[in-house]
Amino acid sequence: MGIEREWVHRTRNLSALSYRFAVRTDDVSVGRQIDAALGGLRDHLNTASVEHWYSLTAADEPGGPVDVERDGEVLARRQQSGDALGWVVWDVNRAAAAEAGADHLLFHSGAVEAGGTGILLPGASGSGKSTLTAGLVRAGLCYLTDELAALSMASGRLLPYPKPITVKPGSFAVLSDLGPDSGPAPGSRPWAGQEWQVPVGEGTGRAIGAPCVPGFVIVPRHEARAETTLTPLSDTQAFFALAVNAVNLVAHGSAGTRALGRLARGCRCFSLSFSDLDEACRLVLELVTADTAGAPAASAAPGLAGCAS
Amino acid sequence: MRPESVGPGGPEGASRPVRRDGAAAVELDDNVALYDDVGQLLIMLNASAAVIWECCDGTTTLDDMVRELTAAHPDDAAVIGEDVRQTVRKLVELGLVVDAEG
Repeated sequence: MGIEREWVHRTRNLSALSYRFAVRTDDVSVGRQIDAALGGLRDHLNTASVEHWYSLTAADEPGGPVDVERDGEVLARRQQSGDALGWVVWDVNRAAAAEAGADHLLFHSGAVEAGGTGILLPGASGSGKSTLTAGLVRAGLCYLTDELAALSMASGRLLPYPKPITVKPGSFAVLSDLGPDSGPAPGSRPWAGQEWQVPVGEGTGRAIGAPCVPGFVIVPRHEARAETTLTPLSDTQAFFALAVNAVNLVAHGSAGTRALGRLARGCRCFSLSFSDLDEACRLVLELVTADTAGAPAASAAPGLAGCAS
Repeated sequence: MRPESVGPGGPEGASRPVRRDGAAAVELDDNVALYDDVGQLLIMLNASAAVIWECCDGTTTLDDMVRELTAAHPDDAAVIGEDVRQTVRKLVELGLVVDAEG
């Protein structure tokens, strides 16, 4: 008979699209970091059963390296606490895509909401989509996701998947005010990790958007020293941009292709080449402000209709 | 398209190609995106190929297509015949078009 491990902290039930999980740890300080970082995924009704457990346990002693497991399977050993959280986020992302794929067309894409209108930001890793998403959310738009956008095949709506915003070292300087040590929870240890996992949702100042019909597709491409410009895309160009960033187009086949076509034709589509995040956000805000100014919602960015939720 | 209709020289003028069921076509600008559920293949047809695709209705012969397109684009008459044959041959190779029966 094995020795029962003592868990000193467990999160509330969490939900990533249709993937249900919770996290437990034997380190109170790590637990506080997890609660803060994954708060956007909290199942507020707390009704969904927990189908998967992540366990973060001190490899040696509290405050030291952490081992990460999911349902008893080792994901990583001896990680700094922030990196351990990064492993959880990575695995949740993978599992959320697998579980939601049957009913949703999934994109490698950031997504935000403004006044009930969805804005897709599709792009490969390194395109700047997470940085742009973070900048737009900081500017007052409502967060849907920074990595995996889910379009319901039944309703045609974008669904929120409010994982923490993952900020890579290359963007630390332009998003320094979102850094995890800029406002740590009482009792938290300083952030220790290679990437930031920026919390969203209640109490963070970064609101989560509601399910919404996409109205814009903006394809970001970060280029050092490039002029920051927003350029209209043809339907064909937009279709291509969406198709290459669709995670599960093959699974949805003809229906998915038609959904892509509706998106490309029905949305206003642009490419956004940028080197200056603030200027990029200003261009996007100007664009969506003109279209959503009449939408009834709380104020977000100046002159911009806010989240529908 | 029947194999005998697609010899070394390409499809014959009297053949009547027809779009195969199961291929989803999405019109985009002047182009058409095609997705084939069987071959799990997504391809983009440019404007001229999209017109040929539309003509693949099972009643229009290859010769009819060439005549119609030549009438619409007389400046390109010298190349239209070969373009039509090559496009239809490619669509057949991809399994997106077959020859109408009967």
